[in-house]
Amino acid sequence: MTTGIELRDLRKLYDGHGATAWAVDGVNMRIGQGQFVTLLGPSGCGKTTTLRMIAGFETPTSGQILRDGIDITDQPVSDRDMRMVFQDFALFPNMTVAENVAFGLRTRRMKGRFSDAEIRRKVAEHLDLVHLGSHAGKRPHQLSGGQKQRVSLARALVTDPDVVLFDEPLGSLDAHLRKVMQIELIRLHRELNKTFIYVTHDQDEAMAMSDAIAVMNVGKVMQFGTPREIYDRPASRYVASFIGHAHIVDAVVAESRSDGLMVRLGNGEVVSLAQPAKVASGQSVGLMLRAEDLSLARPGEGELHGQVADSLYRGEYIEYVVELTGNAGLVHVHEPTDLPPFAHGAPVALKVNAQKAHVVEA
Amino acid sequence: MAQAALSLPSQTGGARPAVRSARRIERRRMLLWLVPPIAWFTVFMLVPYALLFYYSLGQAEDMVFTPGLSLRNFARVFTDEPYLGVILKSARIGLMTSVLSAIMAYPLAFCLAFHVRSASLKFVLYLLVIVPWWASYLVKAYAWKTILGTGGILNATLQGLGLTHEPVRLFLYNEFSVVLTLTYIFTPFAVLSIYAQLERVPTSLIEAARNLGASAWEIVFRIVLPISVPGVIAGGIITFSLAFGDFVAPVLVGGPDSLMISNIVINLLGVAFDWPMAAAIGLVIIALGLALISLSGWLEEKTQVRL
Ligand SMILES: Nc1ncnc2c1ncn2[C@@H]1O[C@H](COP(=O)(O)OP(=O)(O)O)[C@@H](O)[C@H]1O
Ligand SMILES: [Mg+2]
Repeated sequence: MTTGIELRDLRKLYDGHGATAWAVDGVNMRIGQGQFVTLLGPSGCGKTTTLRMIAGFETPTSGQILRDGIDITDQPVSDRDMRMVFQDFALFPNMTVAENVAFGLRTRRMKGRFSDAEIRRKVAEHLDLVHLGSHAGKRPHQLSGGQKQRVSLARALVTDPDVVLFDEPLGSLDAHLRKVMQIELIRLHRELNKTFIYVTHDQDEAMAMSDAIAVMNVGKVMQFGTPREIYDRPASRYVASFIGHAHIVDAVVAESRSDGLMVRLGNGEVVSLAQPAKVASGQSVGLMLRAEDLSLARPGEGELHGQVADSLYRGEYIEYVVELTGNAGLVHVHEPTDLPPFAHGAPVALKVNAQKAHVVEA
Repeated sequence: MAQAALSLPSQTGGARPAVRSARRIERRRMLLWLVPPIAWFTVFMLVPYALLFYYSLGQAEDMVFTPGLSLRNFARVFTDEPYLGVILKSARIGLMTSVLSAIMAYPLAFCLAFHVRSASLKFVLYLLVIVPWWASYLVKAYAWKTILGTGGILNATLQGLGLTHEPVRLFLYNEFSVVLTLTYIFTPFAVLSIYAQLERVPTSLIEAARNLGASAWEIVFRIVLPISVPGVIAGGIITFSLAFGDFVAPVLVGGPDSLMISNIVINLLGVAFDWPMAAAIGLVIIALGLALISLSGWLEEKTQVRL
């Protein structure tokens, strides 16, 4: 028996409106107990639908959801003992903060499990956990967005579920608050040892918080792995360009050995990589070049050559847009601001970090 | 340069009176815009109320109106038979109608708001609620006569089933049939008012409650009902007012003793020619109505939750 949640070939087709596209199209995933797993993808790729099927709000068209090896596909929402944190908070407006948090402890099915004193203690404890101890008596409309999200978090955690589901919980918060809440969520996950399944379209958020990320596109999981795997070894061109804004240049494998690769660009220049070979010589590939894996040098001092097409001062670094010679492609390079700047139109060479550059399917 | 500098003062000097006169014209034009509403208000509100008040202070002697300055008629509303009693009875019928309407309307509005997912089905059901209003009030009231009467559908069914052997007379010409008819006719108002409030409840609240393990009953009684109280009150006030002031149902399906206050007023006006008494009753009812609306407005405000 495996503990945790397993999705087996999960599919969803919304009926009505002549819908013909699968909202979720064959998702397979294993989420171990205590993991922080993020579903990441652009808007409309089926993240919410997947999460809502796990929660029981939507019935899968086909496929199975297993919980600790037991099929829960048809289990009613209220029996699932997974708590959801909604993007719009979904706080009950007719109740105070404390009453909202106590709601899950006071349902009929919980009757007799906790005394009033215990409920009060648990509510107070969880309001403290999210730093809202002094707001217990307020109504939801008297709280800020960040505070509402904390209440919704406390309400989900107070019943001590094994699994907590999040649907873009920070989506409506401003950038600063989002950072604060990210750190808060990571802390809670570390302290509570619960499974967190998290939906977001923000790749920075996904990278920073998750044990594993499922990158989704049009209802499918494109890659499922640790943030490092996803970032350093994207399995496809789609994942590479979605995560970390990589630039991909067309190339052909010149030489493939067990300990590395040589690829040739359209302009004849050659780059060597430390990536173990999974591609054959002569195969067309995409060479993924990230800004932080490149550095500029004077002509002749690097593998690739080009011309500075643009430079943007970003404060932390200068971002150069470099057009490779022979129209081989466009790459971005981040350079420290204290180095002498390269002028617009200047011919430059590029040094490539062989450990980090990576090829994906053409 | 010099020319421009020279021309500046004269320009501003010239502009100021121009602005002022433009403002004056503007204000005059504004007054013009205000004439229609003020005229409407005077002709249709102030004058009738003033007339009503003028009549209520006078006397009717031998069916002829004599002006006066006496508050006697107002006292008679509360002391003479049957006025106060009928007002109270009308209020009772109004209250029963509004409560029954709310009970009838709530489940329908609830279904419409939460269970009907398809937009077109929602529209059709919504239309079905409103459509009876295209039929005449009289037709609808008469319909109940044919259902509840001694030779009516209900009695025929009961006899056909062998449950009764002779027509039951209890169904028609009493307060029960009046309340039933009024409830039938005015329930749509309650539906629309409650539905409007329920529509504001985000579905995520209901999903959150289900997710926290709440049963359907708990969702209704702890979340939906508390949030929808203002809609119920608003609908209740509308149905109460309509039922309270009704004069057709008591005549068509009511018994000899189920006349309501509007029937009394009509009799005073058209049969007894006691216009002063009718005016006094009218004013008392208007005052009661204002009090009721203020109270309900306050209650609605008080029970409204900020979503
Ligand atoms: N209730 C619904 N009815 C019909 N189509 C829906 C419904 N919810 C979502 N969809 C469609 O399913 C697809 C996936 O949606 P969703 O899971 O919400 O994506 P995401 O959360 O990744 O933005 C979209 O094309 C969306 O239009
Ligand atoms: Mg979504």
